Amino acid sequence: MNNFVVADSEKCIGCRTCEIACVLAHSKDGSLSKLSAKTFCPRLKVVKAATLTTPVQCRHCENAPCVAACPKQALVQNDHSVQVVKGACVGCKACLAACPYGAIEIVIAGNSTPRRVEVIKCDLCRDREDGPACIKTCPTNALHKVYNLSFDRRINQRKR
Amino acid sequence: MAKKVLTICPYCGSGCQIYLFVENGEIIKAEPGPGRTNENELCLKGYYGWDFLKNPKRLTARLERPLLRYNRTDEFKEVSWEEAIGFAAKKLADIKAKYGPNAIMCTGSARGSGNEANYIMQKFVRAAIGTNNIDHCARVCHGSSVAGLAATLGSGAMSNSIPEIENTKCVLIFGYNPAESHPIVARRIIKAREKGAKVIVVDPRFTEQAKISDLWLALKNGTNMALVNALGNVLITEKLYNKKYVTNYTDGFEEYCKAIEKYTPEYVENITGIEAKTIRQAARIYAEAESATILWGMGVTQFTQAVDVVKGLSSLALLTGNLGRENVGVGPVRGQNNVQGACDHGALPALFPGYQSVEDETIRRKFELAWGVKLPAKPGYHLTEIPRLAKEGKVKAYYIFGEDLVQSDPDAAGVREALASMELVIVQDIFMNKTALHADVIFPATSWGEHEGVYSSADRRFQKFNKAIEPKGDVKPDWEIISLLSTALGYPMKYNNTEEIWEELRKLCPLYAGVTYKRLEEFGSILWPCPDENHPGTKYLYEGNKFATSSGKGLLFAAEYRPPQERPDEEYPLILCTVREIGHYSVRTMTGNCSALQTLSDEPGYIQINPKDAEKLDLADQELAWITSRRGKVIARILITERVNIGTVYMTYHWWIGACNELTIDALDPISKTPEFKYCAVKLELIADQVFAEDYVQQEYSNLKKKMFC
Repeated sequence: MNNFVVADSEKCIGCRTCEIACVLAHSKDGSLSKLSAKTFCPRLKVVKAATLTTPVQCRHCENAPCVAACPKQALVQNDHSVQVVKGACVGCKACLAACPYGAIEIVIAGNSTPRRVEVIKCDLCRDREDGPACIKTCPTNALHKVYNLSFDRRINQRKR
Repeated sequence: MAKKVLTICPYCGSGCQIYLFVENGEIIKAEPGPGRTNENELCLKGYYGWDFLKNPKRLTARLERPLLRYNRTDEFKEVSWEEAIGFAAKKLADIKAKYGPNAIMCTGSARGSGNEANYIMQKFVRAAIGTNNIDHCARVCHGSSVAGLAATLGSGAMSNSIPEIENTKCVLIFGYNPAESHPIVARRIIKAREKGAKVIVVDPRFTEQAKISDLWLALKNGTNMALVNALGNVLITEKLYNKKYVTNYTDGFEEYCKAIEKYTPEYVENITGIEAKTIRQAARIYAEAESATILWGMGVTQFTQAVDVVKGLSSLALLTGNLGRENVGVGPVRGQNNVQGACDHGALPALFPGYQSVEDETIRRKFELAWGVKLPAKPGYHLTEIPRLAKEGKVKAYYIFGEDLVQSDPDAAGVREALASMELVIVQDIFMNKTALHADVIFPATSWGEHEGVYSSADRRFQKFNKAIEPKGDVKPDWEIISLLSTALGYPMKYNNTEEIWEELRKLCPLYAGVTYKRLEEFGSILWPCPDENHPGTKYLYEGNKFATSSGKGLLFAAEYRPPQERPDEEYPLILCTVREIGHYSVRTMTGNCSALQTLSDEPGYIQINPKDAEKLDLADQELAWITSRRGKVIARILITERVNIGTVYMTYHWWIGACNELTIDALDPISKTPEFKYCAVKLELIADQVFAEDYVQQEYSNLKKKMFC
């Protein structure tokens, strides 16, 4: 089974610390000063509905619709997760339409011609030593990584 | 290699410890520190709220040199410290000679400057000017808690420490949204709930905290007293109160019973909009818990009937014996990093540092002896009375230290009028702000991160904060600026560092006598009272149920319910209530200059409205609309949400364009003089031409930035 990051909405206070941590973890130098509303594109987004607040991010589906929908194999099953193959995306947006969680974004990177597109989705911070930045920074510990579904205590508790 | 400096977060009153990483004289990142309250966690303001120190001029510019103008219609000119101090001293001396010392008003600062600077400011006001006219923004905030708790229990501060919340069995959260204002307190509430505590939230909105609760009491705005009385009524009529505790440790039981007699849950159903059975359920949960904590915020204190409600809440704790031990108590959770400290150190019109009355002759003698000058016995003016007193010609000079009254106080137009009528306005700050636009002289101070001292967090916790970087420009620490002015006025003050000031003040304050810099560094934090150098500090107050009142007992109190002052009518049919949002802080000079926080939300700010009200007014989500009250008119962005109740709209008070305090009313609680920010009447209007509206906001924003030297 794939790994994934999941949030406990009973602990999420909607503060969006995770969103900033996510963007900084995926920036080149982690510099705050380069952040701007125009380019801010976190890989998890805090959703506030009438009675629910929770970050939403890629579930790393086992039979991932985005992987199936991509005509260029830019999204692949790899290392217990769904990962993006750098440089392969053509920006057709099939994955956006396919994702049941709305957890994928496509952005145009820079001003180069021909246009360079990037798929933005949760990569479980696989290049980061400390693991997912969102989990590390959440002040109420509302996020955690599920390694093996059947042994995840927090998820099993909620099933009862 | 980056240098790591341990300090205290400059935002809310939680008092989180934080490491700043410094490389080449610049901060490069912040990480959580091992504070007892935050335990290696931070919220987004702690993690990402320090880059204002780089002066990015996103909203306002740092003040880097003294500024002066001899005529208010002139532009400010950069001058030397000598000229700026000389000008202010001469003007103050002239005004004092002409109108007397009571024509001069000064403020303390609840923000980055620290306890030592507040001590110096009140010493300057009392000893050099000769008045008790000093107050600060606690007046517009928890002033009602300080007054209410002082009367019923004897101390205006949180009775128990923040970490204890985690081990309580019931948290009654009244008019307070910790999820938004104190994330690190919310974290303790979530932990308590995981350990089995029941969480009851009283709020007209379905707040983030209401979401994380077991029972939500959605009361009608402005009906707190009726509900608190009804809770008390259930405790008495259902015999849920602790008889032994009431007999041994409280006064006023008979009067209390009489006062709450008519406030049955059924009687207040119509007033509060809460079903009687829900009120009963809440009272039972609270009373039956083996330990229970009440926490409250501005939803209690910012009403014209606020002190009464605070007294009523403390009575619930007294009736159930939830005081004087661990994991219980009453908690007015303070909003600013050092608003507790500014209160602790005498930035209040009737109190010397250490909560010692200016009217008490023995105490006054002690300070007279220490400061070598005769001191005034009459309490000074309250901050919120200044607009009226200025109009009456009673206040002629205003020395504003680390506050932006035009942004933070009610009826901004009234505040501007008062400032314009003054013969002298001195502003001392780190950023240009709306109040400084009315100044004659501006003193630029060092910021948090650029100086050291001691802060008091909300739970009476003293913690040392440290300097991480060198300031840029010709700026000075607040205490040094005030000392220079005092010396120029003929009352010399000279200190070499903040520790010297701390040593002077702790000897005058029995409550803090045992706290030294060395001990703070050794222990990380010390909670007052700490009477001697062998004392570990006091985690919770009133041990042995000895209250700090004259009788030594806690006072039970209930009052008749009074509705708010300005009710909605045909012309202004909606209630406006001002609230907070998590990513920004106070008047936003700091967070408005932080890139991450500005990225998450920016001008003109939102007005939250229920879908039913929005539909009636034909308003669409994310569109701009006009909001008007009898006092002003502003533009803001519509946020349609089922989380807010029908008939009330909510604005956060951080925004400079969507500035809700252009609309709010300066109606005051009769005792604490705290304004009714939570209730006034407004109307909303659709703007048909949204292109014009968006352009208007952009134009206003760029005009504002120009005025702020950006």
